[in-house]
Amino acid sequence: MNKNLTDRKKIPLIMAVFFLSSAFLFAATQDAGEPSYGDAIVVSSISDARTLVPILASDTASSDICGMVFNGLVKYDKNVRIVGELAESWEILEGGLVIIFHLKKNVKWHDGAPFTSKDVLFTYDKLIDPKVRTPYSGDFERIKSLETPDAHTVKVTYKEPFAPSLSSWGMWIMPEHLLKNEDLNKTSFGRNPVGTGPYKFKSWKTGEKIELISNRDYFDGRPYIDRYIFRIIPDDATIFLELQTQGVDLSTLSPLQYTRQTGNNFFREHYNKFRYPSFGYTYLGYNLTDPKFRDVRVRQAINYAINKEEIVKAIFFGLAEVTTGPFMKDSWAYNRDVKGAPYDIARAGELLRGAGWLDTDGDGWIDKSGKPFEFTVLVNQGNGERLRAAEMIQKYMEDIGIKMKIRIVEWSAMLNEFIDKRRFEAVLMGWFLSRDPDNYDIWHSSKTRQGEFNFAGYKNEEVDKLLLEGRRTFDESKRAAIYHRIHELIYADQPYTFLYSSDILPIVNSRFRNVESSPIGIGYNFIKWYVPKSEQKYR
Amino acid sequence: MKSFLKNKMVLASSIFIIVILAFALFAPFIAKQDPSAIDTNAILSGPSAAHILGTDTLGRDIFSRIVYGSRISLSIGFIAVGIAVIIGLFFGSVAGYYGGKIDTVIMRFVDIMLCFPTFFLILAVIAILEPSIVNIMIVIGLTSWMGVARLVRAEILTLKERDFVAAARVMGAGDAWIIARHLIPNAIGPVFVSATLGIGGAILTESALSFLGIGVQPPTPSWGNILMDGKSTLGVAWWLTVFPGLFILFTVLSYNLLSEGLRDMLEPKLRDDRK
Repeated sequence: MNKNLTDRKKIPLIMAVFFLSSAFLFAATQDAGEPSYGDAIVVSSISDARTLVPILASDTASSDICGMVFNGLVKYDKNVRIVGELAESWEILEGGLVIIFHLKKNVKWHDGAPFTSKDVLFTYDKLIDPKVRTPYSGDFERIKSLETPDAHTVKVTYKEPFAPSLSSWGMWIMPEHLLKNEDLNKTSFGRNPVGTGPYKFKSWKTGEKIELISNRDYFDGRPYIDRYIFRIIPDDATIFLELQTQGVDLSTLSPLQYTRQTGNNFFREHYNKFRYPSFGYTYLGYNLTDPKFRDVRVRQAINYAINKEEIVKAIFFGLAEVTTGPFMKDSWAYNRDVKGAPYDIARAGELLRGAGWLDTDGDGWIDKSGKPFEFTVLVNQGNGERLRAAEMIQKYMEDIGIKMKIRIVEWSAMLNEFIDKRRFEAVLMGWFLSRDPDNYDIWHSSKTRQGEFNFAGYKNEEVDKLLLEGRRTFDESKRAAIYHRIHELIYADQPYTFLYSSDILPIVNSRFRNVESSPIGIGYNFIKWYVPKSEQKYR
Repeated sequence: MKSFLKNKMVLASSIFIIVILAFALFAPFIAKQDPSAIDTNAILSGPSAAHILGTDTLGRDIFSRIVYGSRISLSIGFIAVGIAVIIGLFFGSVAGYYGGKIDTVIMRFVDIMLCFPTFFLILAVIAILEPSIVNIMIVIGLTSWMGVARLVRAEILTLKERDFVAAARVMGAGDAWIIARHLIPNAIGPVFVSATLGIGGAILTESALSFLGIGVQPPTPSWGNILMDGKSTLGVAWWLTVFPGLFILFTVLSYNLLSEGLRDMLEPKLRDDRK
């Protein structure tokens, strides 16, 4: 659902990610029945949300919930075109330097207060407030001024042309009247949000479930499904058992479940499966401030030593693709001329020797100044595919004499204690990307504060310059040239070893109708999903 | 008849334990395949001539992993229990021998320790420290000595009134000498019984921790680890759950039966009573 929203944000993970996006596959022709209100949908999530302050939400679970509760000024429609959400219409003036949004007039916050341009101004002020630990400030720092001539008009003036300007206003808007005196980093609003979206927040039991109820006054029409229950089940196998007992209505399958465990009559009868490429990728990220990884030859060697094709085949049964860069394969920004390093242990060994890493004491592990090459990779608990990928990488590292340890950590502890605080050597994680290829927040050298996304500590002056140039250019072919160059440079620097982009495999209980696939997923029309009266399960 | 059957059981348990010990000691000779060798062409294949207990999600040989895993399971069992016995002997004998305030303080401390739900205490400690084999051994040891302490104290309370203790004291023996040379050797029987039982418990705890992903970290195979892998593939690869599960079951059961056998042997009085 809310694919619209989640898709355009950058979200640091892949876990088994749920229905964030949707499927190309079948627009299943179902017996429609009469659309009727009622019933509930139970959605499973491997991890709990971290915060429901929308501009701080950076993980999938938080984004999923925020996407139901909040709206942006704009969103993507099913054909990946930008359309208005809280904005009725907009004008783009002065060659893209000025955008004037005309807001919808009938929109109310869940507590009844009217939504106005003040809320937009407030959200903008918080996004650029250095005291607020938001990872999304990069999109809004290019704004020279934001004016609100009246309650339903917002005029944004940019310092310079900014290509992702319009899509960046998919950012969820927060209520000024509830938050103006709050410290966003600590506010209780984060556990009790009030938005304008199709669902209202009802309750949150930490580590158990988050419950939402439909917003009958939603400006886009009352959603058919009355309740949205987000159950936190931190384990793939348990989620699968819940599917088998129909305790969960919407989930994401693992490749093994998709290929081998859901082909039987039970699943054919009770569920619809979908498959589409995710707009994300998984990588082995390094802490570049660590002396071991500072030398680019070491990172290149690791890249040569990892057989990505084998990982895709063994763990994903082909339901994934090897990737070489920070963009998605079907995006125009992806540079197909960047050829991935072949699997070549000899070359890896050469590079390591060049960097001074040799097995001097003959124990099978390479060392330098008496210290063996040893590092720990963090992997989040509950993601079987990632753990297995880590075990394969461990083996590849052993082949070149590097001792790699795996440490399994619970997801939110991993982000809060290790990633945000830079207390890690390497990490196996994933990104969900925005549709716009602007990757400034992840790669620009200024984005390294706590909570920001360049936790690898990547710094390349040319990339910095190109990132800025890319967002200043509107012409798609010129932008493509810039991003192709960024792709080349980042691949050469190997701040991450890019691994694979796996397909998303959602499964939805077949009592839900109107579930349609589109280029942006099955969730885009969630408020139109319904269950015929006779099949409704929950009161 | 009953005791005959029981002896058979004890014998069978002992044999099973010896087999597992042999696995641990001679792992490289028994398991010909490298337990961490990945074979992407043999993922999740069932038991066959090449892999007698099948393979896991990365095509690794389950039999090899179980054999090597026995090293982890047994060493955690023995060392954790060793730690528990040493601590338990010390506190138990001091409390029993000196009595009075010292006894009260130590035994109340034991009561407090017993109030913690041990498994959750271990979970919390492992979450703070790094999960590693050494940490797991220590933590299990530090949280399971209380039973031994109580046993030893009870034994010593009766032993210290015996004449041979008085005789030793008359001959000028110090407290430490009396405890170490006269009391503990006489109290050690029940400790053995409880330690044997404890090994089974420690193996179970390790399996549970590894099953939750916070025990022994990959690629080191442990029985709990293998089980964890099996959980997500239960529907398609039963061998991944059944075999490590059976090994855990029979090992723990064997230690329990052995401990009962030991008790019968070391405490004939009890055995007589039962008849």
